[in-house]
Amino acid sequence: MKKSITILLLSFFTLALFAQEESTVAEKVVDKPVRQPFESAYLIDNQTTYIPYVNTLEYVIQHKFGTVENGISDLFGIYAPGANVRIGFNYVFFKNVQLGWGLTKNNFTNDFNAKWTIFEQTRNNTFPVALTLYGVAGINGQPKDYFGKDYSFMGRMSYFGQVIASRKFNEELTLQVAASFSHFNMVDRTLSDFDKVGVHVNGRYKFSPTMSVIFNYDQPLPLLILRNKDGQNSSPNVAAGIEISTSTHAFQIYAGQQSAILPQNMMLMNYNPFAVKNFAIGFTITRLWN
Amino acid sequence: MKKQSAILWTMFSLLLIFVLSASKPQVEGQKIGGKWDVPAEYKAMKNTFASDKSLVDIGKMHYTKHCRSCHGNTGLGDGPKAKNLKTFPGKFNDPKFQAQTDGELYYQSIIGRDEMPNYEAKIPEMEDRWALIMYIRTLK
Repeated sequence: MKKSITILLLSFFTLALFAQEESTVAEKVVDKPVRQPFESAYLIDNQTTYIPYVNTLEYVIQHKFGTVENGISDLFGIYAPGANVRIGFNYVFFKNVQLGWGLTKNNFTNDFNAKWTIFEQTRNNTFPVALTLYGVAGINGQPKDYFGKDYSFMGRMSYFGQVIASRKFNEELTLQVAASFSHFNMVDRTLSDFDKVGVHVNGRYKFSPTMSVIFNYDQPLPLLILRNKDGQNSSPNVAAGIEISTSTHAFQIYAGQQSAILPQNMMLMNYNPFAVKNFAIGFTITRLWN
Repeated sequence: MKKQSAILWTMFSLLLIFVLSASKPQVEGQKIGGKWDVPAEYKAMKNTFASDKSLVDIGKMHYTKHCRSCHGNTGLGDGPKAKNLKTFPGKFNDPKFQAQTDGELYYQSIIGRDEMPNYEAKIPEMEDRWALIMYIRTLK
């Protein structure tokens, strides 16, 4: 009897040891996420797949000056009227889940946004890309008169939904592609459609420890227009610039072809044809607290 | 001709002064940091990620982002913000510095004291913290 108990105990401990070894092996092969695919959650006019650590508060100021068309007379748009500004705050409530609020000067639009990175790119390519969902709901804050006789609060609403995939190819190069759908509850039918599908390509190339070249291209597509097919097709958005980052700040300065800052406005209401005179200088500054 | 050479000599002297002052790692009036009082539990800490040499690159990334501005590109304490500090950030190639245990370096780098900030919130993952120590070890 004693012998059987000893054998049983020995077998149990041997099994436990094997199980421990297996779990150690299992721990060793866990494919960990790549670090810092981007320096900031913003990339000119788009979001990145990067979300800071849990309990981080991010403050952002986005500013776009007037177009460069008047040259030196208004210092290439810097002193021109028509600048657009957005101030926003984002907070990371859970790992890779972020909620935010912002207020934009154009149409005095309040926006509430959410971002969820479903999975991150891993070092050994178990996940070769990071995948992120991003959504924005905007509330146009203009006076009631602007919305005509049949005013309804829902007429103020606009929406933007996006799926973003990114890949960090090496320490220098990270690229992103995305697809989006934008919708406005109310538009000027002579100018704009209610809906717009878009594709986006953007990325960064790090050329020094703290500096990167960044670019952004957004292409609205004449697809899935659910209502009002008489609107103008909006123009693509091209932008490029430089990003400088530190421990808690990212500073981006760029030239782009968009005065809008909210993505749904950008995708539906950019009627500027591609031309050098339609470019405007802009900058984005982010600050992190945790 | 004399005037030209005078200008050239002035320019050369200015350049020499600039290079010498730029390469001087310690600013006048800065004090040298005192001995670190590292608690025993930190002193004895072991780097559990030491076998993964690929972490040195991740450590470099964190060093560039969080440390470089004071400690400089190669850890000589000559970063652009170093001049504003009351205490010289130290040289990582100093044999005395490198002779410390991993745990001591961990405490100094992550927990901090006085002007050396705490990085527990900014670098929350243990793997990233040890990656940083592994990179600092390369700055001999």
